Amino acid sequence: MLSTAPNAAASPARTQPILSVQDLAVSFDNGSGPRVQAVAGVSMTVHPNQTLAVVGESGCGKSVTAMSTMQLIPRPPGRFDRGNILFEGRNVLSLSEREMLSIRGGKIAMIFQEPMTSLNPVYTIGDQIMEAILLHQKVGAEQAWSIAIQAMKDVGIPKAEERMKAYPHQFSGGMRQRVMIAMALACQPTLLLADEPTTALDVTIQAQILELLRELQRSRGMGIMLITHNLGVVAENADVVCVMYAGRVVEYARVFELFDNPLHPYTRGLFNSIPLLTARKHRLTTVEEVVKDAQQFTLPPPGGGGLEVDARLGTLVPWWPEPPAGVKPALAQEGDEYALVQVAPTRWVGCFKTAEVAAHPSPAPDLDYRREDYQSGNA
Amino acid sequence: MVNYLIRRLCLMVPTILGITFMVFMLLALAPGGIGAGLSVAGGQMSDTSKAAQMQAYLEDRYGLNDPVVVQYARWLGRISPVKFGERDLRMPTGDRIAAPRDIAEPPMGWAFALPAKPEVVFTPTLGEGQVDEFKKLQRDAEGARRSYIGAVRFFKDTLADYVREAGAPWISKLEPKGGAEPDKFRDLAIQDSNPKAAALKTAAADMHLKWAKAEETRQRAHIAFRAKPYPESGIGIIPGLVSLDTPDLGVAFSKNRPVWDLIAAALPVTLLINAIAFPISYLIAIPTGILASVRRGGWFDVGSGLAFLSLYSIPTVLAGVFAIGFLANKQYLGLFPVSGLHASGAENYTFLPYFDAAGTWHEGWLLDTLWHIVLPILCLVYTSFAVLSKQTRAAMLENFNADYVRTAKAKGVSRKDVVMQHVFRNSLLPLITMFVGIFPAMLAGSVVIERIFTVPGMGSLILEAIDLRDREIILANTFMIACVNLLALLLADILYAVADPRVSYE
Repeated sequence: MLSTAPNAAASPARTQPILSVQDLAVSFDNGSGPRVQAVAGVSMTVHPNQTLAVVGESGCGKSVTAMSTMQLIPRPPGRFDRGNILFEGRNVLSLSEREMLSIRGGKIAMIFQEPMTSLNPVYTIGDQIMEAILLHQKVGAEQAWSIAIQAMKDVGIPKAEERMKAYPHQFSGGMRQRVMIAMALACQPTLLLADEPTTALDVTIQAQILELLRELQRSRGMGIMLITHNLGVVAENADVVCVMYAGRVVEYARVFELFDNPLHPYTRGLFNSIPLLTARKHRLTTVEEVVKDAQQFTLPPPGGGGLEVDARLGTLVPWWPEPPAGVKPALAQEGDEYALVQVAPTRWVGCFKTAEVAAHPSPAPDLDYRREDYQSGNA
Repeated sequence: MVNYLIRRLCLMVPTILGITFMVFMLLALAPGGIGAGLSVAGGQMSDTSKAAQMQAYLEDRYGLNDPVVVQYARWLGRISPVKFGERDLRMPTGDRIAAPRDIAEPPMGWAFALPAKPEVVFTPTLGEGQVDEFKKLQRDAEGARRSYIGAVRFFKDTLADYVREAGAPWISKLEPKGGAEPDKFRDLAIQDSNPKAAALKTAAADMHLKWAKAEETRQRAHIAFRAKPYPESGIGIIPGLVSLDTPDLGVAFSKNRPVWDLIAAALPVTLLINAIAFPISYLIAIPTGILASVRRGGWFDVGSGLAFLSLYSIPTVLAGVFAIGFLANKQYLGLFPVSGLHASGAENYTFLPYFDAAGTWHEGWLLDTLWHIVLPILCLVYTSFAVLSKQTRAAMLENFNADYVRTAKAKGVSRKDVVMQHVFRNSLLPLITMFVGIFPAMLAGSVVIERIFTVPGMGSLILEAIDLRDREIILANTFMIACVNLLALLLADILYAVADPRVSYE
């Protein structure tokens, strides 16, 4: 049974995860209506020097997961229903606001989608970078100034000394995102949460920023949670991919395995909706068309060289909130209809929780893997 | 920035001209016209009465018999720091003396030959006695002018009588109210057969006599004026033509005192009350607004909003009356004085309170004044919380969800610093707009509150001036408030640039 096979068999754990999100559920008060379950039992891990791409459409819970890591969910209306978020072995959800202040910006840093509005318009760039440094490092103003300049130079901002005194509106979008990164990385965080860092930028700047992030990651051994809905960005940068839908993980795999052989119908739908230069199509297949097709709800063999195939594969049905008629299997009596099942040593798929699945719970997804491992043939 | 400031200051000139012109025209359009305040009370008055002559004299003295536009131009000339023509003299008291004005020639020179214009040759006394002589000549000139204006008025009335006797076609040229305008009767040949002809001739002769006297005394006074019994006012640029001087706000018709003196007495009162009231409103409203926005929807937000809006809904008039009725009335609490700014005899108080040798408490001038302005300030302040705190709250809430606030939180900035340094700092712009509004308000005073508590401030002054149609006070007030308002708006624009680096005037 693969569900019991140790993960280490496929990729020996060389590092402890920096971040481990365990069965996190977050809901929001919706005023009069029922609570909105933004995140409903999500697990993922980030290892040092690893980029975990969290992919999914708007509202699938990607950002809420990242914000929960920093306890930046406003409570109320938000509420942590269950689960843990272990950061360097400590459960951040149980930390006090004071303890969180030293983690935010110090150990965990975050960069956001909108560089145009994410910087405070009334303070200079220097002030904003130094604010982070002075908060987290025991240095004086002068030293903070030189650390800030170094941070600006690290992200490739020319004439850093001059630019320190400039205001955000005097920068271009790409430069502002570099400033955001400099601000985030000035305190040498071990984990960077990048919430759609390139969505608002044009394509050439996107590539520059991602390249920059990769370089900084390699030189500092930092873990990155890269939240995006751009599959091109995922293919270029991610080590491990976590596909989310409706607050749940529907598929979790190494990047190349996922792209070579997507298992969940939703993932397949996503890939089908990407135009290919090589294929001539009259029109693209939408995700909806795929998930409404009952044929798609059988899991293909995960493939990949030397992988064991789960004997249950035929009996597993991928989870989907509103599956086509006749697809939904009989569920286990109690609890949620969803379970994340390890279908291969390095692959997890969200499935309906049949009695069989409930009887053999899978371990939480944890892949200590980097794309260099693949390229150097270690995987 | 400097260019911008200069441009803005230059643009203020036409704006002020526009404002004052509008006010001037409105006053002119009001029933009774600009000089309504000077109308001699008493309803029915006979045209030949002394009252009519008195009014004619006052109209002449204040230039009210000229067309409105001419009067406005004259007012502008007084207000303008750049003066044209002969410079005023300035008495040691600070009052100005303008050069004696020319006297119009008697009307109907075509029917009644004018006597030769007197040419006075006169050497004024210099040195000792010069001031006294000048004053006397001034008085003489004023008296002669007055009787000449009266004689002109009498002549016109007699002319009207004559025309009524003469019948058509002349009678149709009389004014609607029955007066006669001599210029309309150029073709009228005086008929001795008219029973009023003799009276008309006598009136003309009297008028000519008085004109000669007025003209002669005027010339004398003018010569004495040119000998400068007092120093000249202002700085000359081109001698006798252009000079620089402080604006002359004129003399109030209703009180016969320089407007500036009236303002100088009323302004400190209003400034004192507002200088206490505004900080109180701001120090309470803005922190409340901030706290309400931080705890949006909480009991503090709802409670403060409810309390402030309730206060805002109470009319000041009602609150003032209640304050007097319950807090000041001796039959109830009697805590505060009912009206005025000082207790009677306060001018003899020491400034600070003290205990005398017998252990008796003397409250002193300062405490007495503060005690008197408690109720006015209370009434001034309580309505101001709502708008200010709601504005602050709205500005804060707009910024709370801004992306840079999220960035600041993600940097590990504490909640307090996020609120004050990031959210509040960005909420300053709408507050600046409101803040500069206090400058003109400080000057204007509160009409209602000053009236209720009989505080002799700017509000009372302007209200009284409007009652009496005192053009000079109203115009001076409008002018000052307009200037301060425009400067405050300029200050707001400068503060915007200071508060938000994105605002630039380069």
